[in-house]
Amino acid sequence: MTASPTRTRTRLRGAASLLASTDHKVIGLLYLALGSLYFLIGGLEALVMRVQLAAPGNAVLTGETYNAFFTLHGTTMIFLAVMPMLLGFSNYLLPLQIGARDMAFPRLNAFGFWITALGGLLLYLSLLEGPPSAGWFAYAPLSERPFSMSLGTDFWAAALIFMGTGSTLTAINLIVTTLRYRAPGMGLWMMPMFSWMAFVNSVIIVFAMPALNAALVMLEVDRALGGHNFAHGGSALLWQHYFWFFGHPEVYIMILPAWGLISEVIPVYARKPIFGYEFVAGSTLAIAVLSFAVYAHHMFAVGLSRPVNLAFAASTMLIAIPTGIKVLNWVATLWRGSIRFETPMLYALAFLVQFTLGGVTGVSFAVLPIDWQVTDTYYVVAHFHYVLMGGTLFALLSGLHHYYPKMTGRLLGDTLGKAAFWLITLGFNGVFLVQHALGLMGMPRRVYTYPDLPGWGALNRVSTVSAFVMGAGLVLVLVNLVVSRQLGRVAGDNPWRAWTLEWATSSPPPAGNFTRLPPVKSRRPLWDLAHPEDPDHRRPARHDRTHGHIRPEEQEHPR
Amino acid sequence: MSGSHAAAPPPISRVSSGRMGMALFLFGDAVTFTLLIVGHLYLRRHAPQGAPHLDLSGTLVFSVLLWASSGTLWAAERLRDVPRVSGVLYALTGLLGLTFVAGTLQEWLQLVQAGYGVSSTLFFTGYYTLTGLHALHVLLGALALLVLAALRFRDRLGWRRRGVTDALGLYWHFVDAVWVLLFLLLYVWRGP
Repeated sequence: MTASPTRTRTRLRGAASLLASTDHKVIGLLYLALGSLYFLIGGLEALVMRVQLAAPGNAVLTGETYNAFFTLHGTTMIFLAVMPMLLGFSNYLLPLQIGARDMAFPRLNAFGFWITALGGLLLYLSLLEGPPSAGWFAYAPLSERPFSMSLGTDFWAAALIFMGTGSTLTAINLIVTTLRYRAPGMGLWMMPMFSWMAFVNSVIIVFAMPALNAALVMLEVDRALGGHNFAHGGSALLWQHYFWFFGHPEVYIMILPAWGLISEVIPVYARKPIFGYEFVAGSTLAIAVLSFAVYAHHMFAVGLSRPVNLAFAASTMLIAIPTGIKVLNWVATLWRGSIRFETPMLYALAFLVQFTLGGVTGVSFAVLPIDWQVTDTYYVVAHFHYVLMGGTLFALLSGLHHYYPKMTGRLLGDTLGKAAFWLITLGFNGVFLVQHALGLMGMPRRVYTYPDLPGWGALNRVSTVSAFVMGAGLVLVLVNLVVSRQLGRVAGDNPWRAWTLEWATSSPPPAGNFTRLPPVKSRRPLWDLAHPEDPDHRRPARHDRTHGHIRPEEQEHPR
Repeated sequence: MSGSHAAAPPPISRVSSGRMGMALFLFGDAVTFTLLIVGHLYLRRHAPQGAPHLDLSGTLVFSVLLWASSGTLWAAERLRDVPRVSGVLYALTGLLGLTFVAGTLQEWLQLVQAGYGVSSTLFFTGYYTLTGLHALHVLLGALALLVLAALRFRDRLGWRRRGVTDALGLYWHFVDAVWVLLFLLLYVWRGP
């Protein structure tokens, strides 16, 4: 097909208007695209590392290169893959779910995205100088001169300040949007669950990111101006305190919107309202507060005083309670529901199992002797990959399959989607389940090779092979996303028959989001619209109290 | 909140978006400053040499100018309806801020010439970090104020654009308040 000059011009103009857009939906999609791109890069980095670890004594990478790889992998996945994807979903969905026309500050929104993109570019420009290799946590004094001489660490710090600023601005935007731009009639306690979680998540971001900025400023004063904050007479522990005061809330920042997506998906495919709405939302608030109160559990092996260790062990066990409340509520939502096993639901169910497993190993760290035994081993790696991949990534994929029809107007391919799901699930569990065992056997993390101890080589081989299986699954998802754009079945406004506001508008939504807002009188405005004889807001009891029964008209499989 | 779902309209707040957004940003900024101050205090406990004698009286002059700018800003916001007057007052506020930044730079220059750089002692590492970050805040705020002054002078940014001036005003008062704390901490207090 030859493109005529006019068509090329139109295409260029289309691209330019896309890049210069301040529409929250476009920015949300840009965030998702950026996140996907870096997810691919970070995934390839992980595969290279897995190849190096496939057999004991391998020599694919040198030790120093391996350090650079896991530093870039961690930084990329956290700041450039997971956070942009979650903020992308927040950006796209939150105004739609609360019936707003756009975000409170559309231009600030675009600025936040572009400064994040600039940060990503900066991080990878460091490759020209010698990449950062002090780990994503950059512990002082390793991250100080003379231990990290190349400019890589400076690039890394500058990139993080940019990305942190972008996230903070987006978060402020989301909070103000939530507080001031809800549809008439929609109280805070009527908002869809995802909006709740994105809102609380933004509050955490506003308070956590500045801690990272403070630490990075001090680090740069040390590195560039010869200061004494963390080394040369300063305190290396101070860095750890400040870094984890940001870093632990950060892991909750990476899971909250994912929980929000799961809370949207499960009720739709179980054909029941979410069970215990107030508790799911309220436990989120508890987590927002507690996420700051547990940060020193990353430092149990440092040698803090016993009372401090005990206090943080206790708070770490505490934070499992609101998390457990959520899991129980999701399971209770499934209880006697009328479940449809669509691809998003499959991902959500896998999420439940894997996230719970990751959570349980997480609580095991709160027991000090266990932590001292397994800290800095592959047990930790297995734990946080179970919550970040088995949790967040699966929730993201669930949300992606669920909302793709809303974003593009077309359904994703079903067979391809399910095939990819099984590859990813089997692959993922193959990679990380065995790493629990490796960690308990004492294999340290962040080492580029290991001795040929009994079982280590075999388990690592299982891990590496599974990683490629999972990679194949993710490639299938990517193919599905691209192909369905043209060939997918036309979705219509509400393909899953969901009841929240984002499904009230066309797919994809027009500029300005809604041509006509349905009246909002309860948590499920579309249900009220479709069933004027039995609307939620007329029910005597709390509307989600279905007494363990599903409403007959919601029954998917007639008994 | 009870579980009742009366169809009452939500209480849409009376605070402008700009003010709310800036308040949130300043919450975060306060965390940054707090952590830097706490880190500085902690390191100063272990500093072999205490806080040296800085030029208290000279800095006090510049500090008073900065704090006075909160007054001119207040006056500018009170006289918002008179474009020219409020424009001049906004400009005055911005210029006072720039004067303060110049004072900070001049003081740094004197210190460096006397042999006190960032890398000389633990105290000075924190000193330059804190005063530097604060001066950066003042500089950005002052430049924004000058832009605002030019716009107000020509009767732009009327009541409909209340959020912009609200936000900047909040920011400026915050930056001044931070300086009260930093001044006491770095110049007045003699250390533990």
